[in-house]
Amino acid sequence: MIKLSNSHLLSLLSKLLVILVITKALSLALLWYLPSDGVELSVQENYKPKYQRVDFKNMIHNSKAVAQKTTKTAVTSVSITNMVLKGLYGTKSRGFVIVARKSSPKVTTIVEVGEEYLGFRLKSIIPNGAVFTKGGKEYILELEKLKLQKSFINRVEKKSSSNSVKNVSRSDITYYSKNPTKIWKEISIRPLKNGRKLKGFKVTKVVRGSKMAELGLQKNDVIIRANNIELNSLKSVTDLYSNMSNINAIELVVLRNNQEKELVYEIN
Amino acid sequence: MVRKLAIFIGFVLFFLLALMYFTPKENIYFALEHELKKYDVVISNEKIDDSGFTLNLSAAEIFFKSIKSADIKEINIKIFGLYNSISIQDIQLSQTASSFLPLNIQKVTITHSIFNPLNINIYELGDDGEIEGSFNLVEMALHIIFEPSELMLKKYKNSMREFKKSEDGSYSYDKTF
Repeated sequence: MIKLSNSHLLSLLSKLLVILVITKALSLALLWYLPSDGVELSVQENYKPKYQRVDFKNMIHNSKAVAQKTTKTAVTSVSITNMVLKGLYGTKSRGFVIVARKSSPKVTTIVEVGEEYLGFRLKSIIPNGAVFTKGGKEYILELEKLKLQKSFINRVEKKSSSNSVKNVSRSDITYYSKNPTKIWKEISIRPLKNGRKLKGFKVTKVVRGSKMAELGLQKNDVIIRANNIELNSLKSVTDLYSNMSNINAIELVVLRNNQEKELVYEIN
Repeated sequence: MVRKLAIFIGFVLFFLLALMYFTPKENIYFALEHELKKYDVVISNEKIDDSGFTLNLSAAEIFFKSIKSADIKEINIKIFGLYNSISIQDIQLSQTASSFLPLNIQKVTITHSIFNPLNINIYELGDDGEIEGSFNLVEMALHIIFEPSELMLKKYKNSMREFKKSEDGSYSYDKTF
């Protein structure tokens, strides 16, 4: 039998153990100075709901009828699929939505967060819709995809000849999305800064006769808003760009000769 | 004497290996993330796996100024002290970069070795071509030699203007920070 007290093995093992303890202590000391959490992208909540045109005239006109109807409809069982979300305003826990039944879309009702509509309680507002609850279940009602109506377009054209509403083909948008280099052959845009703050995007060149020129943008225009969202960061532009396939209408606000001008495009 | 020296080297190696194993690699990576945040670069949604001697990240999303810039399939980080490397596999750049360069990068390797302590070496292989370069830690200078692909030369002439063409046909880029 080997005498452990005399063994070289025991000596070696104890030395290795000491090394392990030292290295572990060093790593723990290092751990003390290092952060315990990494960095994750904190997406800033966009409190501005997506741009939607709501026919307020229609809503006010029918407000009486709605008031009379709500008492009757409250007892009627209506599926969430028979409801249309016409508009929304507010943050997650505060604000209101404008809803209607699919059968009578012009009869709209304003519902505040916490209120009930046709048996569904409005729980919260999300960027593209509203969350309702009924019987312990949650239902998400998405914003109605709105197409600019011809009547609206005509109205805008009559109201102001300087304001333009143009039709843009979705196939053109898809083409330019896939070939972004083509865009920069027809138009040049550069960020316009006021100190460190981004003020908007200045059009520095538009090629005559090009698709971009047809959009109505002119040299020295400064694009400051798109669909009611301030274009004060590159992110806001890329967000708009990545959501292009879901948008049916774009409203650009440009500064032209120090005056705001609205350019409205319907995407077909 | 030789035996004693061999034992001493053995102990040193064991110490280094143990140190590598116990080093809080995940927390060092978190520190790196905090440093990158200062330059508006955020690595998000990645899965972290500390496999003892290396740190593996997968399915990472890279954001620059809050704009999604790339998807990365795999990142392998080795911190051995004497030799450190970051190997990035399969990078898919965001569509917004398609005006400037091809979107697919197969491999990026960044290495630092004790045998060349003043330089960090960089290697990249992608649809854009092949890049070899180094970053001098004393002079804070980046030097890159770029061998562009045909695709890069044909479709991304504007981006190629950033590089200086040398007599042997290769392209170089220099920047001091």
